Amino acid sequence: MLLTISRTLKAGFQNFYRNGSLSVAAVSILTLSLLIISIIIVLSITANLGLKFIQDKIDIRVYFKSDTDTSKMMDFRSEILRYGEVKSADIVSKERALSEFKTNNTNKPEILKAIEAVQDNPLLASVNIKATDPEKYSVIANSIENSAYKEDIASINYQQYKLVIDRFNSTIKTIRKTGVFLFILFSLIAILITFNVIRMTIFNHGTEIEIMRLVGASNNYIRLPFVFEGIIYGAASACIAIVLLIPMVRILTPYIIGSSYVNVIQSGFSTYFILIFLIQLLLGTLLGVISSLLAIRRYLKT
Amino acid sequence: MIEFINVRKSYGAGNLMATALEDINFKIEKEEFVSFVGHSGAGKSTILKLIYAEEKPTSGEIIFNGEDISKISSRQLPYHRRRIGTVFQDYKLLPKKTVYENVAFALEVSGYLTREIRQSVPQILDIVGLSNKLGSYPHEISGGEQQRAAIARALVHRPALIIADEPTGNLDPISAWGIIQLLLKINKLGTTIVLATHDKDIVNNVKRRVITLDQGRIIRDHSKGRYAI
Repeated sequence: MLLTISRTLKAGFQNFYRNGSLSVAAVSILTLSLLIISIIIVLSITANLGLKFIQDKIDIRVYFKSDTDTSKMMDFRSEILRYGEVKSADIVSKERALSEFKTNNTNKPEILKAIEAVQDNPLLASVNIKATDPEKYSVIANSIENSAYKEDIASINYQQYKLVIDRFNSTIKTIRKTGVFLFILFSLIAILITFNVIRMTIFNHGTEIEIMRLVGASNNYIRLPFVFEGIIYGAASACIAIVLLIPMVRILTPYIIGSSYVNVIQSGFSTYFILIFLIQLLLGTLLGVISSLLAIRRYLKT
Repeated sequence: MIEFINVRKSYGAGNLMATALEDINFKIEKEEFVSFVGHSGAGKSTILKLIYAEEKPTSGEIIFNGEDISKISSRQLPYHRRRIGTVFQDYKLLPKKTVYENVAFALEVSGYLTREIRQSVPQILDIVGLSNKLGSYPHEISGGEQQRAAIARALVHRPALIIADEPTGNLDPISAWGIIQLLLKINKLGTTIVLATHDKDIVNNVKRRVITLDQGRIIRDHSKGRYAI
């Protein structure tokens, strides 16, 4: 058994480098396919990271009339938190709203002056609500509008965000749908091309297989060199693809998503690269092995 | 050693069915040297293929060393092949392997240890007279030498039977006679030989058992046969 494996492994390597140009063709096709698949993965990761980034910024602010008690707002908050759709709800007091307003406008002295000219704090206390899912904001907004606290609420700023949130939701959906579609499409193309290239290399070995059968090689002994060859194709392609992918992503992301988000997205990527490499390795070797097994079946029928 | 009982082989089905062999009965004993002769398409190669189980008979039984091999499983096939050496008109050597590697290949495939391979291969190549061509590639040596390498490969795992399908078909008369003498020598050392040929001179000079085929039937079986169709 060990003898069989060591001999067939050696034969697999020999096939790989003696086939020269055909091996180069197989590896480059497989590399290209893996690269396209991983670019799709990278794009969807980028989209998801970007979405998460934006998602964190979206919320509903419920402003309370200025004479509302803090305790009432606390009650409101605890009731809101009981909704399944709500992820968090924070109370922003008038004082905090004012200080936040000031820090946001430090470079606009005329606004600061105007605010200081007013004796009372003109800002309203609010509860900032974040939903578990951006699609849930309209549900939350509706139930707040119909709640017992209706009387105390000055305004809900949901309406002015609604357009942004809706557009955002539909963008997420399109990105996910097209991502899955492209992923399946290119996986199929990759499988077909790889299968054909490997079938060609095995066809090249037709006489060799015939001779192996004549001198009494078992089917496994005939199969294994091609399986190993497939694994070598897959592993080599995965290595090349990841080496090409890293600089591509590093260089291209700023152009695609705009430099302001680059840091947010790239910081998350180093862990993803390992994951992508593992996916490539798995996909590549699996493709190679399955194609080899399918292509050689024809020669082993009796 | 080999016995064919009422063997029939046909290809296709229904109206398109073509019968390659019909009503084949013969018995080959150990250490015999048997030649199958006949025109192209008479069924020589088909009988040989049935012996090394490349083809299976449509009906009838083929007994090899007491076992029926007419319904051999694909799992058992490799083990059957290891008991038989095969030699063909087109040599069937691996072009990217040297003479030594080609012969060693047959042993590697059957799981022999590297130590045994290093011992056996030079011995066998000495028997066929190729000791000085170990490192040559098939395209670097003559047709006769290629066929000797093929015989060495067929012989190296010491099979009880060697099947030679037109081994001299591509060779000039002198090389051809050299190959036949080599087969006779191997036969003298105790290996059964089954030869298919349509070379009249060879058959007449060998003076061994000849089975003559015509249109898929045995028409003559003489123990000291001559080529006569």
